[in-house]
Amino acid sequence: MENSMSDQGLKPVDTKQISEMLGRKKGKMKRYLSFCAHCSLCAESCFLYMKYHKDPQYMPSYKAINSLGKLYRRRGKVDRKLLTEMKGIVWRNCVLCGRCYCPIGIHIPSMIAFARSILRSQGVYPQLDEVSLESWL
Amino acid sequence: MNIFIQGQLIWIVFLIFILGLAFQLTQFFKLTRKKEWAYPPLEIKSQKKTAGQWVASCLASLNGTLWKTDPLMTVVTSAFHVLLIAVPLFLLGHNILLNQSWGLSLWSLPESFTDTLTLIVILCTAFFLMRRLLLARVRAISTFYDYLVLLIAVAPFLTGYFAYHQWFDYDTVMTLHVLTGEIMLLTVPFTKLGHMLYFFLYRFLIGSEYSYARGARAW
Repeated sequence: MENSMSDQGLKPVDTKQISEMLGRKKGKMKRYLSFCAHCSLCAESCFLYMKYHKDPQYMPSYKAINSLGKLYRRRGKVDRKLLTEMKGIVWRNCVLCGRCYCPIGIHIPSMIAFARSILRSQGVYPQLDEVSLESWL
Repeated sequence: MNIFIQGQLIWIVFLIFILGLAFQLTQFFKLTRKKEWAYPPLEIKSQKKTAGQWVASCLASLNGTLWKTDPLMTVVTSAFHVLLIAVPLFLLGHNILLNQSWGLSLWSLPESFTDTLTLIVILCTAFFLMRRLLLARVRAISTFYDYLVLLIAVAPFLTGYFAYHQWFDYDTVMTLHVLTGEIMLLTVPFTKLGHMLYFFLYRFLIGSEYSYARGARAW
């Protein structure tokens, strides 16, 4: 397993594929991201935010902005280090329960799910035995 | 320059504002042409309630809403958004200008009343600013752009308040008032302020009691 982990770490990121994926849902996702008022009113609707002593990094908007938002802002030109940082946000900090509530009507789970798809396309996803190898799970 | 700002530029801005909103509107319906199955509306036949039961059920329905989790913010943000639209529309000064220009106008609220409402908008913005500066959760997602958007939203009200009370040089303040109003209208269709339109449009996607037209549209 260690070999596959290190292989995953060395594999170059296919930025062209990421850009292509981002382009496919650009109309929807860019509108979600650009019309988010950054009001933070979605915070209390996340049970993880409430569970982890209202830590802002568990806020639904924070998770969407710092995963998919970053991917769009950089137009997919990201390195593996950044994708690995996002891994914790979209897999550990969000369970995709779909209960987050945005007063404007932005569908946050679809943004996190899309970010997960992009990360998965680059081989960035949690491994079954990762609990013991990394501290993030 | 002042003549241009208070003359032709207003028409250009209104044109861009309306065309921009029309573009966003058509794009939304174009992108959400797909229809998905939506739950039919529930028909709940409830027993006749007493006044006390009715009040209790109303209060219970607030559980889990923003009224319950953040009542102050709910009141402030509701007041701010309603007044942001209503005050400029029903302001006497604006309606007089409209009447002089087109010969028609909306009805106007008393000046002292709109003056108080303007002050409420400014105070609401101050509340948003303090929230953005002091609350860790809001600070965590705030950028320079968020402060700029807040400034764009409040500037026409601030300059309008100054102009009404004739503080500072009246002509300069009036020019700034028109200019800041134009900036706000220009930025609505293309920036974060676009949630003015999308707040309503997103209701076409949500299949529940908050939906429009069954909320069956999908991206």
